[in-house]
Amino acid sequence: MNKKDLLNNKYFIAALFLLPAVIFSLVYLIIPIPLSAYYSFFKWDGIGAMEFLGFDNWSKLLSDPIFWSSMANNFKLIAISLVVQIPIALFLAVLLTRKIKGASFFKTIYFVPMLLSSIAVAFLWRYMYDPTFGLINGVLNLVGLEQLTRSWLGDPDIAFYSVAAPVQWRFIPLYMIIFMAGISNIPKQLYEAAEIDGANNLQTFFFVTLPMLRSTVINASVLIIVGSLKYFAMIFALTGGGPNHASELMATYLYSKSFTEMNMGYGSTISVALFLVALIVSFLFLNLSKKDVRN
Amino acid sequence: MNKGLILSLTLLMVFSLFSFTVMAQDEVTLTLWDIRTAADQATPAVKDAIDRFEADNPNIKIEHVPTQNDNYKTKLRTAMSADNAPDIFMSWGSASLERYVNAEKVSSLESYMTEDWRSNFMPAAMNLGIVDEEVYGVPVTNVSPALVWYRTDLFEEYGLEVPETYEDLKNVAETFIDNGISPFALANKDKWPGSMYFMYLVDRIGGPEALQKAISREGAFNDEAFVEAGRKIQELVEMGAFPDGVNGLDENASQSRTLLYTDRAAMYLMGSWAYSGIKNEAPDMVEQFSFFNFPAIESGEGDPSNLVGTPGDNYYSVSTKTKNKEAAVEFLKYLTDVQMGEKLIEIGNIPPFTGVGDKINDPIMKKIYNSSQKANYIQLWYDQTLPLELAQVHLNTTQALFGMEMTPEEAANQMEAAAQEYYGE
Repeated sequence: MNKKDLLNNKYFIAALFLLPAVIFSLVYLIIPIPLSAYYSFFKWDGIGAMEFLGFDNWSKLLSDPIFWSSMANNFKLIAISLVVQIPIALFLAVLLTRKIKGASFFKTIYFVPMLLSSIAVAFLWRYMYDPTFGLINGVLNLVGLEQLTRSWLGDPDIAFYSVAAPVQWRFIPLYMIIFMAGISNIPKQLYEAAEIDGANNLQTFFFVTLPMLRSTVINASVLIIVGSLKYFAMIFALTGGGPNHASELMATYLYSKSFTEMNMGYGSTISVALFLVALIVSFLFLNLSKKDVRN
Repeated sequence: MNKGLILSLTLLMVFSLFSFTVMAQDEVTLTLWDIRTAADQATPAVKDAIDRFEADNPNIKIEHVPTQNDNYKTKLRTAMSADNAPDIFMSWGSASLERYVNAEKVSSLESYMTEDWRSNFMPAAMNLGIVDEEVYGVPVTNVSPALVWYRTDLFEEYGLEVPETYEDLKNVAETFIDNGISPFALANKDKWPGSMYFMYLVDRIGGPEALQKAISREGAFNDEAFVEAGRKIQELVEMGAFPDGVNGLDENASQSRTLLYTDRAAMYLMGSWAYSGIKNEAPDMVEQFSFFNFPAIESGEGDPSNLVGTPGDNYYSVSTKTKNKEAAVEFLKYLTDVQMGEKLIEIGNIPPFTGVGDKINDPIMKKIYNSSQKANYIQLWYDQTLPLELAQVHLNTTQALFGMEMTPEEAANQMEAAAQEYYGE
């Protein structure tokens, strides 16, 4: 095949344009997965020689109470996020797609948390949680609810819920936008038909909007599940997983093992476990939700 | 495409390659990696040393690549493992340097150590740049011991004296608690601020030998000194010597010092860098602050002049990758000479060099310098002395002590168990 033919071959051209993206995802996304699995069989500090351990890291992981409690925290985060983010995001989306005054203004305002960087949001909340000077304890004191004031981030019993709150606040707008896009795709005729049949607002929502948004809600749930399993940024910035691992997630634990304690082998083991858990959970969820559709 | 154009472009490329090789023969470029970003206090002094060196050695260029502190550690580690080390790099001495020496990434400076150059450094500082009796890194900045900072005006207001002993300290704390003031400001989210109390208590109870013996495995991490230190911390926590929820407060966000500025806390055990923090954050209150050494414990073995902290920080080393070791070592001399010392003092940084005390004008800085010179022993932070695995256990158990989530015995036993695992007993 001569040069000219090659350049006229549309598959060749397509491959050429895809190449940079393919190389990028291979190097940064695909190859690290088997590589981490490989590292998980070694004791390695990231610079020195690697010492083969066999399945030692894995058996250590299975009997590591901190790993299990951090995984439990991940599942708690999933549950909280599903219960909090989806209904609120859905409510806001329905509200803002109606023809109300200033909808576009509120759209922008509600989207702000998503635009701020995670770390900035974390700092904002850190100052709100300050036990002496913080907004939350300040308001509680002001209205005479002194008995409710807490050391929000310092008390191991509530630290996890304190760090989960800003995560909800930040991600609701994302799902709000997704639902708004979903709602605008619902054919107008359905609403007109519902109106003719005499459906009220609530009925319209439950019998038209919600069923039509079904796949969008499922997609959003998958995003929430995977996102919550991998979550890291704000928890790391707020408590670093502390106090005494009370707000530890798999990702923060993985970070402190690999980069603070320089135990890359064990860190890789946690990361592979995290990958497997995320894979299994999202696979199960997608399968279950698919089955329902066919029925 | 026009053939003439292609030809000329090719020629241009050939020539530029050629000219580059010619240049490289005359000019030597040394890459220097450290944490001296624009925000770093000591940056102007290092820049000044680079300028002086380049002026004296016109054929050598220093390519200075500063990286922000936490990212720096990751970046250096990555470069080291990929065999991409710069010519000159910075570490924190002790374990952080040893790790690279053992991996044969660092050149020994021993053969360049003239009597003059060696005596230029405070011995306590120099020690941390030495691995297997050979010098691998020279300290440049930051003599920064942990000290008990206090609000002088609050002490006066309640008629209190600077405490000499632990019992005095408890009485002082008692008075502040009675008056609704938290005796100590502490923000322990990141665990190391609370660790300072533990390190000082261990030193005052068991002397520096307690830790040395535990590390050399003649002693143990659940020896009486460590358990007793834990008990004393919890005694202080129980009497209310610390603000509420210390484990959720962030030192990096100044949540501790804010308590001092607003009269809600009176004392603050923190590295001497707290002084520059105070100067920046509350310039009109600087006069109301001073410090004292951590008090003695009457029955204890520790000398109250002992300090915990950094005897010298930011060790500069030459990597084994460099092709110009002579030039790199020569640069290190510029980085540690008298002019550098003066420049650092001007900025407000106490260099670990001998004989610069009389050049310090600021009374607090002078007091810090003198305390450091007078100290019989300076204990480096545990989290830098101990191997990483143990350092983390130390930090975690100490944070748990402050949170009353562990008994002193449990904390000490957990530490000892980790040590036994680490040392393979």
